[in-house]
Amino acid sequence: MTRLIRAEFLKVRTTQVWFWMLMATIAVSALLVVGGIAPRDGVRNASDVPDLFASSSTAFIVVFVLGVLGVTTEFRYQTFTPAVLQTPSRWAIVTAKMITYAVLGMFYALVAVAVQLAVAVPWLSSKGINVDFGDGKVQHAIIGVFGVVALFGIIGLGFGALMRNQIVAVVVGIVFLLILENIVLAIPKVRVVWPYTPNGGIQAILHTTGSTEVTNGVHLLSTGGGVIVLLLWAFIPAIAGAAFSMNRDIT
Amino acid sequence: MTAPVTDGRIVVDDLTKVFRGRVRAVDRLSFTVEPGSVTGFLGPNGAGKTTTLRMVLGLVRPTGGQATIGGKLYRHLHNPSQIVGAALESSSFHPARSARNHLRIMCTVAGFPQQRADQMLDLVGLSDAKKRKVRGYSLGMRQRLGLAAALLGDPRVLVLDEPANGLDPDGIRWLRGLLRHLADEGRTVLVSSHQLNEVQEIADRVVILNHGQLVRSGSIAELTAGTDSVLVRTPSPEPLRTALEQQRAEVEQVDAGTLRVKGLTSQHVGHLAFELGVELHELSPQRFDLEDLFFALTQGGQAPAGQPPAQVPGRGAA
Repeated sequence: MTRLIRAEFLKVRTTQVWFWMLMATIAVSALLVVGGIAPRDGVRNASDVPDLFASSSTAFIVVFVLGVLGVTTEFRYQTFTPAVLQTPSRWAIVTAKMITYAVLGMFYALVAVAVQLAVAVPWLSSKGINVDFGDGKVQHAIIGVFGVVALFGIIGLGFGALMRNQIVAVVVGIVFLLILENIVLAIPKVRVVWPYTPNGGIQAILHTTGSTEVTNGVHLLSTGGGVIVLLLWAFIPAIAGAAFSMNRDIT
Repeated sequence: MTAPVTDGRIVVDDLTKVFRGRVRAVDRLSFTVEPGSVTGFLGPNGAGKTTTLRMVLGLVRPTGGQATIGGKLYRHLHNPSQIVGAALESSSFHPARSARNHLRIMCTVAGFPQQRADQMLDLVGLSDAKKRKVRGYSLGMRQRLGLAAALLGDPRVLVLDEPANGLDPDGIRWLRGLLRHLADEGRTVLVSSHQLNEVQEIADRVVILNHGQLVRSGSIAELTAGTDSVLVRTPSPEPLRTALEQQRAEVEQVDAGTLRVKGLTSQHVGHLAFELGVELHELSPQRFDLEDLFFALTQGGQAPAGQPPAQVPGRGAA
């Protein structure tokens, strides 16, 4: 298993996608801090700080795409064939990929948090707001970001394993996460399922301040509930992908 | 990196594959591939060659029967790249990755030292291009890379699907030497091909497939037994013909001054003519032609006997 994981990291390192995704993470994180602090209604006191840091979870979308690509490129370029020839067990392949992309997710989360801290801490202190890392809510936000982004590496993998087609998987995934879920939230009655969607899970994990009511009648789950929701979104598609989609005849 | 203890015999036993419940790609196929020889796996396009190879390698699940390597199913082999080296399609490389990195990844998975990647690239003649992205490779270079990948684990068994595709004449000669050498070391080499003349040059044995069924298998010597002939041109065929028939040779009159003799070597025929004092204008052994046999055996397939095989546009450029 160690060899498989090392090989997965080598696969990531030997193409250039990781680098562009990292640039995207840095750009998005920096923009979110600027957008959080610069406007008139931006961060004005210490109680707004946890939510500011929680926004670095937006790196989840980058890591999701990275996870999708991590498995769909193997189908697209037929590198899945030599991979299976070397490792006939699809379970071993998927497990190695899950571990690899979870670690990779944490690395991207680290970069996202680091960028936000580098921009936010000096900027806020110039405004007289001190970032208190001893504050439980700040810690909660930062640790939450690591967990969320790492899990999205696995969610992307599982989704890619199910869909197989690279372009379809990326487009459908992004549309689902960024558009469809918001539509779900807007439709009465249907919106009660929203807390169980990936975004519902993210919000539940990162929620530190204010009301848990998202919109009329829809309440966030607890932090633990959010973790379980994301774990299910991560593991069910990955397991289904290994059992069915990746187990098909390779012709 | 020593060869594993299992013998490298490939046994295909009553193998059947039905796709989507209808298409019988492979139909109750049985044959054995012996170690220490190069076996050519032949058949017209769509005969089921690739599907069979993929079942041997555990990539396609058989509908019935099984294929074993050294007595084991592929998926039960421990660290399979040490036992079986396979090169299937020439396109299974990430275009943005270099040849060297492709092999380094495979070395990492199998636990081979990373230098093994460079050694194999030297062996297949890709050292100069090894840091370039595969995107810029020609078909021949991809074939070489596929072969390097197959040889990475110093495997006992090699399964190659159309390895000569896209190679230039030098490359084909090189491949022939390499496969010969590997077989002489006692390895099992199974090579599918539609280039029959090539196979005749390389292979000791052939397995001929058509419509998913076995048409014939055996050593080239067995299949060609009784098919070699000697062509004799002489102004006086009659006395020679009588003498040859007394030697139990099968003699066929091709035209007024030409005989085709089966069952005797050219030395034998020449000596007989010398003893009789018959003047000879030509005495030439006619080599058995695998292509003729192939078309005769696969008659009713895609290329009927007597008709030249159609040139598929773009073949070899894909």
